[in-house]
Amino acid sequence: MKRIGRGIGLSFYGTGYGNGFPDVSRAKVRLLKDGNVGIYVGGTEVGQGARTIFYQIGSETLKLSSDNISFITEDTSLMPDSGTAAASRQTYNTGNAIKIACENFMDRLREVAKRELKLNSTQGLKVNNGKIYLEFFPRKVISFKELAQKQKGNVIEAEGEFVAQTVEMDSETGQGAPYWPYTFNACGVELEVDVLTGKVEILKTRFAQDVGRAINPHLIEGQMDGGFAMALGYVLFEDLNINEGRIKNQKFSKYLIPTAMDMIDLENVIVEDPESTAPFGAKGVGEPVMIPIAPAILNAIYDAVGVRITELPATPEKLIEAIEDSKEGRVVKHG
Amino acid sequence: MIEIQLTVNGKDYTVNIEEDKRLLDVLREDLGFTGVKEGCSEGECGACTVIMDGKTVNSCMVMGFQANGSNIVTIEGLEKDGQLHPIQQAFIDIGAVQCGYCTPGMILSAKALLDKNPNPTKEEIREGISGNLCRCTGYSKIVKAVEKARGYEDES
Ligand code: FES
Ligand code: FES
Repeated sequence: MKRIGRGIGLSFYGTGYGNGFPDVSRAKVRLLKDGNVGIYVGGTEVGQGARTIFYQIGSETLKLSSDNISFITEDTSLMPDSGTAAASRQTYNTGNAIKIACENFMDRLREVAKRELKLNSTQGLKVNNGKIYLEFFPRKVISFKELAQKQKGNVIEAEGEFVAQTVEMDSETGQGAPYWPYTFNACGVELEVDVLTGKVEILKTRFAQDVGRAINPHLIEGQMDGGFAMALGYVLFEDLNINEGRIKNQKFSKYLIPTAMDMIDLENVIVEDPESTAPFGAKGVGEPVMIPIAPAILNAIYDAVGVRITELPATPEKLIEAIEDSKEGRVVKHG
Repeated sequence: MIEIQLTVNGKDYTVNIEEDKRLLDVLREDLGFTGVKEGCSEGECGACTVIMDGKTVNSCMVMGFQANGSNIVTIEGLEKDGQLHPIQQAFIDIGAVQCGYCTPGMILSAKALLDKNPNPTKEEIREGISGNLCRCTGYSKIVKAVEKARGYEDES
């Protein structure tokens, strides 16, 4: 017999290192010999899309096509540190550092252009599309390429640093502002529990994630899909089975993770509410996308069969045992 | 040592290998096809998938000598004259690649499926790639990419 249930889960999550811990990202921007712009940054791409986001933020700030930007990353001899690709912090923290570095770089360009164009001041100088020109007299113009050629050995570059603002919690009272910014999400799940086999099948989901501003909706969807799948495995199948310090399920034939057959089409909703301290309003979503899924699924199981599972994973065996116990009116903690 | 002959991506090779060498290692170490990835080494993850005589196999589970006389396609063999294969292009267009470790195996499983069944349903696609594990994407965009590539004309 199959029973259908529905559940929701909500969460909020502070990104970055938090709790007053120093959280610093740095970037360096340099005019290259060929007139293109090099952005040197220690942020690491691991498939989450950091590099794409960095290109977007750099390109938008410099008003320059990404074809004319080279990202030089992941070589500590060439670039300043941007902290770890962890804590969902690269978009917000390193994105901010890149934006600041690009703005400083544009100031440097205006100063050099003032000299080259024999102007009195940098007032009214605009940087756009690889050129620096006087807005109200556009014949006064010099391109990045010409500037690069004229510099002969003098490098035009600027650095940027972003230090996140967080406050250590009061250890006595537990009060404080340990993170900034926070991100919010909500997930609803409809599922079916087979009361004979204990098998759970997800039928429908709706998952909403606050992102500040979606500077790359494709990548956000990818994070939401991946977060859901990882959480699904965490709730229903994944069990290291540690016994006296040894991992017993040390292979994929025993440690089961979801396959394409376990997943369904997800209904993802991206919620935009730009964050004032973020680069173009964008916050990180790497970790938060996993958090509301487990409570949503467990609440739906409760709705379907009336049992609370308090230890993960909610395997078929555990579920059947819990259902049997509830029939007999025993109050047992299932874990 | 034994000598085996095999065709990889349309080219013939003769290699001398140790008797206990796996096809995975022959392809990666002797022939340089590093697009073949090693994940679990026990036939569970599909990262090492190649197409052998028209069927997908886990190359970690095939001995080198068993591949003697066979015709193998790896991810390197899909591009033609600098043009990506339609499935590869669809993976890029849809954004079906995150860390990329599962991608070569995924694309080859998708190719084997579409070669047999050019217009699979969504469920058939999910089944066709179910031997390939992906930890990053939740499979959604991978399934969409295969749907997009569905019905391509393979001139080969
Ligand atoms: S490495 Fe061959 S199946 Fe995992
Ligand atoms: S993209 Fe990372 S495992 Fe599939």
